[in-house]
Amino acid sequence: MDNTTFNAMQLDAIREVGNIGTGNAATALSKMLSCKTMMDVPAVEFVSIYELSQHYGDPMDTVAAVFVRSVGGFMCSLIFIQPEEESHLMVELLLKQQFGSKIPFDEIPDYMSDSALTEVGNIVLSSFLNAINLLLGTQHQISVPGVAHDMLSSVLDVVASVFGQMGEMALLIKTELKVESADTVKDVRGNIILIPDPDALEVLLKKLKVM
Amino acid sequence: MAENNFILGMADLLVAPAPAKLVTLGLGSCIGLVVFDSFARIAGMAHIMLPDSRGRLGAEKIGKFADTAVPSLIEEMLKRGATRPHLKAKIAGGAQMFALPGASVDFLTVGAKNVKETTTRLARLGVALVASDTGGNKGRTIEFSTSNWMLKIKTLGKGVREI
Repeated sequence: MDNTTFNAMQLDAIREVGNIGTGNAATALSKMLSCKTMMDVPAVEFVSIYELSQHYGDPMDTVAAVFVRSVGGFMCSLIFIQPEEESHLMVELLLKQQFGSKIPFDEIPDYMSDSALTEVGNIVLSSFLNAINLLLGTQHQISVPGVAHDMLSSVLDVVASVFGQMGEMALLIKTELKVESADTVKDVRGNIILIPDPDALEVLLKKLKVM
Repeated sequence: MAENNFILGMADLLVAPAPAKLVTLGLGSCIGLVVFDSFARIAGMAHIMLPDSRGRLGAEKIGKFADTAVPSLIEEMLKRGATRPHLKAKIAGGAQMFALPGASVDFLTVGAKNVKETTTRLARLGVALVASDTGGNKGRTIEFSTSNWMLKIKTLGKGVREI
């Protein structure tokens, strides 16, 4: 698979799927946190699996990642990935919503912050998948989310090993969400990475009648 | 004499004479395989990504798959002056980064398959696996030094250990 595998119209269709999914995810995040949420136009990129770990930042950076698996008409996996520090800010925002006043991250027990993080990831990724499946007219089921706090490079091994079974390139639908809030010292960013199963993109393109 | 530093990327395979330090950053499900001969003073490392090339030999980087990386690394070591009875191996990596309660997802367990294939291949080729640190759910950064033939493993939140 490389940038000659799909024509311009097909790449546009894939990008649009990312756009619709992200739009829905951003809305969900915004409602959940009662904050303004911005999104980038999704990028469809072909990246060498050997360079994947540098693609999202420093391979050694600590990140928080939530992973879900979706089965049904469009088989895929999704990762919501954030710089570790920004995931802390997001957990603070969510818990402030729940309890009415800010609790500093250090005072939140680990199990609770992980639970909050998982829940945000779950809502973001489910919203993304709901929109895609609505568009495609397909049914789907989403797994319970898994969460990891680790080096960016280690987390991205999951992505590399999926695409590595098929070849040496990964197709990434990469979109960035940004939560703006007066309650945090900086904006909270998060990336959604969509990992289609082998052959799932063909299914998607056929449903969208561009293949 | 100062050590030469080598940082291996995904699917890289490299052999270097002492003094050398071989490094792989942020292994998740991947395997860092070290083969060394302390008599010939030479060491090699491979950053293995998947267990099986399924016959796609030659088309892709040789270090990518356990079934191609293990024999290639050993062969390269012998070519560079190592002798077979003195070859020893150490491995680290093969973690499962995500676990989904109640769902079995084939590719999430690729780490365990990498470990199994790598150790099986080493045994078949008669290379002694003298130390290993595999599995779990945390990423690892590894450094092998020919100064003491030890593999240093750094895990986030768990510090450093040497095997």
